[in-house]
Amino acid sequence: MEIKFKYLLITFLILVNTIAGFSQNTKPDGWYQFRGPNRDGISTESLSGINWSETKPELVWKKELGSGFAELTISDGIIYTMTSEIVDSITGFEYVAAFDENTGNELWRSQVDSIYFDVDGWGNGSRSTPIIDENQIYSFSGHGKLSANSLKDGTLNWQIDFVEEFGTTTPRWGFASSPTIVDDVLIMEVGGTDSRAFMGFNKKDGSINWSSENGNASHDSPLAATIDGKEQIIFANGRKLFSFTSTGDTLWTYNMPFGSLTAIPILIDKNKIFLSGVRTPGFIIIEINGNTATEVLNGNSMKNDFSSCVYRNGYIYGYHVAALRCVSVETGEVSWTKRGFGKGSLIMVDDKLLVLSDKGKLAVVKATPDAYTELISFQAIEGKSWTAPSFNNGKVFVRNLTEMACYNLK
Amino acid sequence: MKQITKYTLTSLLLIVALITNAQTVDEIITRHRNAHGELKKWDQVESMKITGRFTAFSVEDDFFAIKTKDGKYYSELKLGQFDVIEAFNGETGWTIDPWQEFTFPRELNKSEQNVFLQKAEFFTPFYNYKENGCEVELIGKQVVDGIDVYAIKLIRTNGHTETWYLDANTYLEYKRESRWVDFAYGVPAETYFDDFREIDGLIIPFLTEKTFWQRDRVLQIENIEFNVDVDENVFTMPKSAEIEKLAFLIGNWGVRVNAWSGRANRWYKADSTSSTIDYIATNLIQEKISFIDFFVQSNITNFGYSSSESKYFSTTYSGFSSEIMMMNGVFTDSTFVLNNVKIGCDTSQASIQIKATYSNITEDSFTLGIEQSGDNGKSWNPWVQLIYGRMKE
Repeated sequence: MEIKFKYLLITFLILVNTIAGFSQNTKPDGWYQFRGPNRDGISTESLSGINWSETKPELVWKKELGSGFAELTISDGIIYTMTSEIVDSITGFEYVAAFDENTGNELWRSQVDSIYFDVDGWGNGSRSTPIIDENQIYSFSGHGKLSANSLKDGTLNWQIDFVEEFGTTTPRWGFASSPTIVDDVLIMEVGGTDSRAFMGFNKKDGSINWSSENGNASHDSPLAATIDGKEQIIFANGRKLFSFTSTGDTLWTYNMPFGSLTAIPILIDKNKIFLSGVRTPGFIIIEINGNTATEVLNGNSMKNDFSSCVYRNGYIYGYHVAALRCVSVETGEVSWTKRGFGKGSLIMVDDKLLVLSDKGKLAVVKATPDAYTELISFQAIEGKSWTAPSFNNGKVFVRNLTEMACYNLK
Repeated sequence: MKQITKYTLTSLLLIVALITNAQTVDEIITRHRNAHGELKKWDQVESMKITGRFTAFSVEDDFFAIKTKDGKYYSELKLGQFDVIEAFNGETGWTIDPWQEFTFPRELNKSEQNVFLQKAEFFTPFYNYKENGCEVELIGKQVVDGIDVYAIKLIRTNGHTETWYLDANTYLEYKRESRWVDFAYGVPAETYFDDFREIDGLIIPFLTEKTFWQRDRVLQIENIEFNVDVDENVFTMPKSAEIEKLAFLIGNWGVRVNAWSGRANRWYKADSTSSTIDYIATNLIQEKISFIDFFVQSNITNFGYSSSESKYFSTTYSGFSSEIMMMNGVFTDSTFVLNNVKIGCDTSQASIQIKATYSNITEDSFTLGIEQSGDNGKSWNPWVQLIYGRMKE
């Protein structure tokens, strides 16, 4: 009788816990948003126990994919990303699309906008990475349409045209900011008129929760992080840094010595933020104490263009323009520099950097300040590759403007 | 006394040690030049043809360049979506760079000339730096990207300075800091040299990576041929295709001036004169002519082409009335027709219309007919006719 009661109690507790879990904002598993689970370019998976000298990466699949720069977001065995189709020199469409993680086969696609044609020839299609939520995927087109599609079959549930609705001016090279979700609020850099630079939307129906501040749409994506126990969304817009709660209250602002950042702000330690751009100074590190931001370091040893860094144990790893570097966040000194990756991208899995060159060469490199130590490298994909890799279930996923591929590293 | 001797000896030893360890800038440069191969072999190189792959904006494409010993340079490359041509004769040069939003050739500015001095070199400026009038200073031994290097300041004859970092072990160049250009605007740049290979006993960096602002340019050489035939014409700046169509105007001309008699309804000879028409700039042609059409007319006419409006323009300055007449028009079917326009930003048609038609164009002659219209171009009345015949040399 006592045993039976014990089992009943455990079952009841599990049930309650499960129901409570579902009623809260359950974050999806996997590489479900821009820069991975925590928007920091770091996978929560492991790459340990691999004998790299004997490892040969296995191509799981390679598929054609329309033009676009969106990362491949992955959850529950499905890849979601943005793709496009060109009809003729002035006509085409942007899609949010789903693919089977194991085969790369397309499951569905849904048209969300006309294609963004890049006048400078950098590449057409969406620049923003969608975010996967419980039932919907949220995407942002190159022309500035925020869309919510059903994860199941791609049905378009709602859509907002930022240019039409909020008077947003399309930035040169198109809209590029990637959405984030905090406390069930879908948060976007909008760049609209009348204090609608940043906005929170009801993710279910797209209705407006809040809007705040003035500023144009940029190419940067917001960081969502917990600092001093407060979950906050941090935007780098123009020459200013803004921190908001998920309800749109301003926590703090900071005037940066540079502007027009493209690389996402990075949380280092518990209350410091690393910001980098291609001008001088190349980077700053600010410390947040009691809603006050103070610069603690700046330097020119890291100048990010469009590619974001990763942080590990006191060191930033990233692209100083076109040179891969490891830089101390204490001193700003360069630990090592490696050329040859062009203006590539990188993520981190465990204590390994997954470095993708701008021509599709993928290298696994030790994330250590001691020296540049390459464990393995191979040509993963051909041609201009400006989109950072994604990592899920032990596999690395890469894309460029014409195709995507999946490799098993183990 | 013993102690003094001890100190003297120690000091002497230190000095000797410093002398033997410290190299002069000339010694370092000599080693640097030797690291690039035998000097007498370099002396035999008159020209080189380079083919390879050039990467800009992360896109790789073919690259072709010619360099000559006397500092000339010509290259064809792809910069993003556009084909770019560059040429330098050792002092001045030209480029066709559609990134500047026009496709006709233009002259290099001063900042670009300094860049092309660098591009034209056979890889190292220290090869004949003294003969070329350059000065050098040893900055010292440093560590760059974990590599021991000698930093040397190079001062060119144009006053521009560069810092070269030579690998302290190989004496080959590792890095250069110099002025470069981004869309014709002067910017600081860093250049890195790698993949040194031997060809015919000469050591050459096959990989060059250059960064300036956020730009990244990589040249991977695939092949080098020495002492190739060089077509000197490539260093001469070509005219724009549109201005080239007006080449028939160029020359020294004898000109018969006919005036129209409305009463007699025929042309009558008003004057015989001469005219000189020549390029005053690559894309600008000028005519100077004086003739009598009742009054003495002394005119200077400039011909140009507006790529933004896809039309030819002419401005005629009258030495008789001190007025300016502007015309625009097109060249079609071997006939060049210009109509007068209002002067100013508004180039709509003027109320009194004048039309200049260049026709009967041959190698040695053409006819300029000038007509007037009082009804907005519905009907035209002949006014003056100038028949040009090329004067013998």
